[in-house]
Amino acid sequence: MRELFPMKQVNGFIFSLLLTVVALSVYFLEMSFQLGMTILIVTAFVQAGVQLIIFMHAGEGEDKNAIYTTLFYGGFLGLVTVLGSLLAMIWGYL
Amino acid sequence: MKIDSTQHLEYSTEQNRINILGFWIFLGAEIMLFATLFTSYFVYEDRIGNGPSGAEIFEITPVLIETILLLTSSFTIGLAIHAMRIQRTKAMLGFFAITLVLGAAFLGVEIYEFIHYYHVGATLQTSAFTGILLTTLGTHGAHVMFGLFWGIFIFIQIKKQGLTPQTANKSFIFSLYWHFLDVMWIFIFSFIYLKGMM
Repeated sequence: MRELFPMKQVNGFIFSLLLTVVALSVYFLEMSFQLGMTILIVTAFVQAGVQLIIFMHAGEGEDKNAIYTTLFYGGFLGLVTVLGSLLAMIWGYL
Repeated sequence: MKIDSTQHLEYSTEQNRINILGFWIFLGAEIMLFATLFTSYFVYEDRIGNGPSGAEIFEITPVLIETILLLTSSFTIGLAIHAMRIQRTKAMLGFFAITLVLGAAFLGVEIYEFIHYYHVGATLQTSAFTGILLTTLGTHGAHVMFGLFWGIFIFIQIKKQGLTPQTANKSFIFSLYWHFLDVMWIFIFSFIYLKGMM
């Protein structure tokens, strides 16, 4: 039975539950918008990293570099799209 | 077909390796799909017109249940792949089935949530905010729905054919898809729900 529950994945799961609890603090505790957003950004991206590295085995095979390149490219374009649009359509008019 | 037995079953042929790489590239495109949805969401978030705002319609309980269900299912599909790698077909199928049940439960809660939105007057046509909210959540939900059927078919194939380089490859790719949906949900959970209720 034990060999079916590798420590790495069990720890990864516990860690991701912990990150969820930390993220929930922005709902249950009083805090400024800036602090809340900082907590959410950090927990969400760390959570994504846990999934990619521990559960999706992104860094395992010989295609590691191609996989990370694709992910960073997608992530970079995503961030530019989100932040660029906010800059052009919201923040510029505050 | 050349089988390299030094590799995990899902990586054991050249075709398998390329399938997995190809799927990662597809996931890169999926990141962009969700990025455009998030972009529209953030831009239209405050355009609520005469409709309700996020803070008025979001409920923490169903959202929390959905998050726990999806996080746990992401863990169990990870365990399924681990069981597959140590050749424990039965255990793998068990974890696979738990994953699909958790996925179905997630969808059930999400459907409840959509009915709730409809009842409080937040429909696709109410405002720019509710429109993009339901589009974003719906796109994610549709992915989970697709994954559910895909997973069921892979489950049946493994039951019929056992673990072969082909079925192991399909299972691994399915696990990538499922983890990806969990990652997207975490972003929805953080930047749509929690941000909206903060």
